[in-house]
Amino acid sequence: MHVIRLGAAVAAGWLAVAPGFAAGPLKINGSTTVNPPVAEAAELLRAEKGLKIQVDTQGGSSGGISMLAEGMVQLGMSSKHVSAADRSKFPACDFREIHIGEDAVAMIVSRDVWEGGVRALSREQLAGIYEGRIRNWKDVGGPDRRIAFFNKEPGRGTWEVFVHWLYGDAKKAPSVSFPEVGGNEEARNKVASTRGAMSQLSSSWADGKRVFALGLKRDGRVIGPSSENIASGAYPMSRPLFVLTCGEPQGEAKTMIDFLVGERGQALVKKHGYLTLAELKNPEAARDAGR
Amino acid sequence: MRRKAVHHLFRLATGVCAAAACGVFFLIVWAIASRGWAALSWRFFTEQIRLVGADGGIFYNLLGTLILLATALAASAPTATALALLHGVYLRHHPRPRRLLTLALTVLNGVPSILFGIFGLIVFVQWLGWGKSWLTGGLLLGFMILPTVTVSLMERIAGLPARYLEAAAGLGLTQSQIVRSVILPQSVGGLVTGSLLGLARAAGETAPIMFTATIFAGATVPNGIKENPVLSLPYHIFVLAQDSFDPAVGAKVWGTALVLLGVVFALSLLALPVRLKAHEEAREG
Amino acid sequence: MARRRRWSLTKAASWTFSVVALAGIAGLAALFAVQSLPVWKHAGWGFLTGREWFFRESLFGAAPMIYGTLVVAAVALALAAPVGIGAAVFTSEFLPRRWRLAVKLAIELLAGVPSVVYGLLGILLLRNWVYDALEPFEPLSGDTLLTAGVLLAVMLLPTVMTLAEDALRGVPGAQRAAARGLGLTATETVLHVTLPQAAPGILAAVLLSLGRALGEMIAVFLVVGRQDNQWPAPVHSVRPLLEAGQTLSSKLGGAEINIAYGDPLHWAAMAGLALVLLLLVTTLTLLGARLRRTDHAT
Repeated sequence: MHVIRLGAAVAAGWLAVAPGFAAGPLKINGSTTVNPPVAEAAELLRAEKGLKIQVDTQGGSSGGISMLAEGMVQLGMSSKHVSAADRSKFPACDFREIHIGEDAVAMIVSRDVWEGGVRALSREQLAGIYEGRIRNWKDVGGPDRRIAFFNKEPGRGTWEVFVHWLYGDAKKAPSVSFPEVGGNEEARNKVASTRGAMSQLSSSWADGKRVFALGLKRDGRVIGPSSENIASGAYPMSRPLFVLTCGEPQGEAKTMIDFLVGERGQALVKKHGYLTLAELKNPEAARDAGR
Repeated sequence: MRRKAVHHLFRLATGVCAAAACGVFFLIVWAIASRGWAALSWRFFTEQIRLVGADGGIFYNLLGTLILLATALAASAPTATALALLHGVYLRHHPRPRRLLTLALTVLNGVPSILFGIFGLIVFVQWLGWGKSWLTGGLLLGFMILPTVTVSLMERIAGLPARYLEAAAGLGLTQSQIVRSVILPQSVGGLVTGSLLGLARAAGETAPIMFTATIFAGATVPNGIKENPVLSLPYHIFVLAQDSFDPAVGAKVWGTALVLLGVVFALSLLALPVRLKAHEEAREG
Repeated sequence: MARRRRWSLTKAASWTFSVVALAGIAGLAALFAVQSLPVWKHAGWGFLTGREWFFRESLFGAAPMIYGTLVVAAVALALAAPVGIGAAVFTSEFLPRRWRLAVKLAIELLAGVPSVVYGLLGILLLRNWVYDALEPFEPLSGDTLLTAGVLLAVMLLPTVMTLAEDALRGVPGAQRAAARGLGLTATETVLHVTLPQAAPGILAAVLLSLGRALGEMIAVFLVVGRQDNQWPAPVHSVRPLLEAGQTLSSKLGGAEINIAYGDPLHWAAMAGLALVLLLLVTTLTLLGARLRRTDHAT
């Protein structure tokens, strides 16, 4: 019968491609910001050492933390610290944060806003926009156009860094209703294709061609999200890129971590536009690298 | 004269509607084919994803979808047969339970696919602790297409000429013998048609599998049940649709969409001749 | 009459599989009902009528999502039903057999296009078209309830058309012949004889398509904007069509499912949304099925 024939064909195909039933794969999940260097590291390790590694980005940083704590993955990726609330929610997991790089959150705007004169905003102005008090770009020195603010989904590391700077604590952030975007790419795509748009985005993803990163006005100065400013701490909305484990890293998880903090892994971090650990320690190096 | 004018106007108006409907079909196929054709190559089908979708091919995505479909078939075919036999044979003289059965299938047919996904998340991922598993995906998809397969089989059984059954009874066969040697063999066509239609739908579904069975990168071939997700064509498109800014990725997404469309169309086309014939027969009445 | 043994392997197997399947169906509904109990206790009817959804403050009001769901479905049907029914009438009543089969082929294939493909077309093409077309009305972006409605209309078109055509063909050819014999034009036959008889079936087609529209997730998720708490003021205002919104399904497919995972009340609220969606869709499905049976009976 057809069913039996189909079943036999599938089984044959399965046996033909199954490489060999080794131990379970290394599973990684979390932030879309941390994903690019980790995903590429996974590809290299798969190709060179034959490791089986699965990388996913469900739920962003929060998803990484919760899936790690629930034992569904061995490594979490997060662009925010594991909070006290997370630790008390998951007491069984001894969270370890392994720093692999640094990133900044920039407020990105669409071309018409940038060319309309808005190059920087102060904390008060940003809070005003977020709380809906400022609704038109002309109130902050830009063109006469409604502000189309795309808010990052709550739980995303990018969002948490943003509200942390504005309000000191994610819990103190007011409840707002803006259109939502998920991953970094969706944010970039929607801002680029909408007039008067703004969103929070990892600064390395602002290419200066279709979306533009604003500077922040502090004490009369404008501080842009340059590598030097991030490394020296002058730019306030920066966040660490973490790989997380429960307890001491072991086995393949340790292999991946050693790779990421090692020379080749750090080269990947740099390739994808983030700050390496070395540059973080030495801001002049970042400036001299000319980025 | 006026009546004729009204007639021509009406025919024109409805004709425009029909042309629009067909036009939409061609537009969609053309939109995808024109953008995705460039990505198709031997490499595309035989390699795996690299660089988060910007390079490489969709081999394991295709394989994952095939695994899910095979599992869905294995789950739904026997169940649909069981339900159809209950409806057509064992409960033949009990109208109330029969109606309940049909009612349950009707309700199941309308359930939004995202609810299957959440159901699977609760039952399989959480309660059974399977994590993301290809088996969960296959079972959920099989569950989802159950009404399609069952109804097709039910109609086929109902359409069996009475004389076959009378002849068998006259020869002294038991009920189960009649089922096994007359009813089932004669209605295989209904099972095949229904399965093909059901699988065509299952191939393109993202919602039932996105929480329960599939990931974006890293899975190859499952080697167990727990914690063994697969890649899939529709989820790949879903993730990259939101990350559509990078031009390197762009062509590959359209290529994947084109391949998915091809799989779905192939399955539908295989079932079509039988369906069209059945529709036409209804008309002549 | 065949000899019957009380139980055979075939019969036992049939009953076993069937019971499992039916238990699954009942279980699906029961699961959402039971898992959502905490939120019904917490908010009561306010869950359905409340206009604010702020999960961090344990505020769970689903009214804007129900509104979004209904508006998107209404737009979709307003576009798909006339075109679909018109196309069905033309195909069933005016086309010769060969052409009819060709059209049916195209429509059957169109019905099979996966929703993620529609989502791709929506996010990369449709939302920019809508954004540019609506320029005079100053929409915030291309992600609006209207965009979702238009996309959904294209998705529903083949379903409406196929089901409406089934209904039209259910009318016996003899009746058409009699009408023509009396001197009516083909159009008059359709309008005065065929359509009225097929009406229950056509209504069923619309209801069943409406059910599909309410539950569609992937395509709507990508272009609806996912903005919470959008409530029209005044209620009949058309402005929300040009703004982003949220539907029951787009909320269920989003990030909150992952976030709610560990929080009982939040999870109950999500289960509550699932339950509401299930009840809405099931009601329409059953109504539609009822009408189709009526149609076939005549």
